[in-house]
Amino acid sequence: MTDLVWKSMGELARLVATKAVTPVEVVQAHLDRIGALDGTIKSYITVMGDSARAAARAAEARVNARETLGPLHGVPIGLKDLYCTKGVKTTGGSRILGNWMPTEDATVVTRLADAGGIMLGKLNMHEFAYGPEGLNAHYGTPWNPWDRNTHRICGGSSSGSGAAVAAGLCAGALGSDTGGSIRIPSSLCGLTGLKPTYGRVSRAGALPLAWSLDHVGPMCRSAADCALMLGAMAGYDPRDPSTSVLPVPDYAAALTGQVTGLRIGLLGRFFLESAGAPQRQATEQAVKTLEGLGASVREITLEQMKHAAAASAAVISAESYAYHEPWLRTRATEYGPDVRERLLVGAFVSGSEYLKGQRVRRLIRDEVDRVLGDVDVLIAPTLPIAAVPVGAREVDIDGKPQPVRPSLVRYTRPFNVSGHPVASVPCGFTVDGLPIGMQVIGRTFDEATVLRLADAYQRVTDWHTRRPPLGV
Amino acid sequence: MSEPGPAPPLTKETLRVLAQAQGFALTDAELDGLLPLVRAVRTMMDELAAVPLEDVEPTALYHML
Repeated sequence: MTDLVWKSMGELARLVATKAVTPVEVVQAHLDRIGALDGTIKSYITVMGDSARAAARAAEARVNARETLGPLHGVPIGLKDLYCTKGVKTTGGSRILGNWMPTEDATVVTRLADAGGIMLGKLNMHEFAYGPEGLNAHYGTPWNPWDRNTHRICGGSSSGSGAAVAAGLCAGALGSDTGGSIRIPSSLCGLTGLKPTYGRVSRAGALPLAWSLDHVGPMCRSAADCALMLGAMAGYDPRDPSTSVLPVPDYAAALTGQVTGLRIGLLGRFFLESAGAPQRQATEQAVKTLEGLGASVREITLEQMKHAAAASAAVISAESYAYHEPWLRTRATEYGPDVRERLLVGAFVSGSEYLKGQRVRRLIRDEVDRVLGDVDVLIAPTLPIAAVPVGAREVDIDGKPQPVRPSLVRYTRPFNVSGHPVASVPCGFTVDGLPIGMQVIGRTFDEATVLRLADAYQRVTDWHTRRPPLGV
Repeated sequence: MSEPGPAPPLTKETLRVLAQAQGFALTDAELDGLLPLVRAVRTMMDELAAVPLEDVEPTALYHML
């Protein structure tokens, strides 16, 4: 049964549909593994054991009745604990919502369940999604599965999602991304994670951090699985007015394995040139691999990137403060100190400054759009660093000490500002065995090309298939 | 009015007053934690102020459909 927890989502769905395994066996294998490992890893805040088993039995009955099955039928999925789940605690990683039970599911939860997915539980996260390290003072900080000896960060804010998928504690997971919170843990935990175009996937029923920067997306062990999850979740939702009415392509069918003629823009200045040597070399080698598959490469510079941090800061500070202001006035001591401080900063950003941030966003978005008129995708490292020990405030990058937190968001937040789709794809490991990821950035609503490139790369490499040294 | 000069460096006491004006009575320890973050965001807001934005509309516009 151990092998079941390492199967891809697509493979599990096929095994279930052909009755090679039952949904009950699949779910129980994952629940057993959670029981064995998660006391240390701390990826889950709430395990939905009873409801997952009940859903598995119902899924098995549907298979036996030869009903039409969804693309994720019987597949166990973890949900970052900011997605509302009806009748199940949704904490946002906080004490403030520690006992809150929503009365309806988030749209994406409903859509994943409609596709046959079985919700295993609610995953740990940086409190209220406001942190790229993935720390949590209330529920414990998840342990990065790639180092058994040192407690390293998983990255955030979707830290539990990163840990759970990497450790085989669910087949795929939902994350969310406001400044990098899908891509950072994906890179640090060796996963493939997708931040879709802003508006591709509904945010209805997801606790917000910053309404105009929040993105909903999958974290999986392959681009093919991301395609399956995205296909189930994407599309217009009247509950979220920011969602696009553009039709949803068949993302799985787009994975042809072909990248011949694809034009890649390699982001040098601001990105590659400031990354650590392992990250730089892994990304460059990945690009060479893609050239070997028939893609062409040229170096690209994005001049407006220098303003991305300030634009992001203006928007996220003001919007997060606006949402949290009532609690900051009445329940301030219930926040973790780091999150409380970060939220309070928004009180010192004016309306005019917030709008300046939104205006600079247009410059950044327009430049990325313009550049993607000349190339089909852009590639950059996801992070300049690998996973650092919990509590580390500085990290050495090529002999120079740099602060950890800004380093974690440097390459990711510009694409929350611009709204373009980005996948983080495993492309190597450090000499210490820590994962390295690269970003593949596409045109707006062209997740199909992003995933096609990532999948083609994964057909000729095995970084994404490696397992952390957990001993089981 | 005279030409505006660069803002003086933000001090803990100035931050205390600014926070009080927002209705937050912060302790010394809280101000110590908050001060570097607010200084950093103020530096970034000064960067934004220098970006030429004539005829650039915000992305936060009200859409009827």
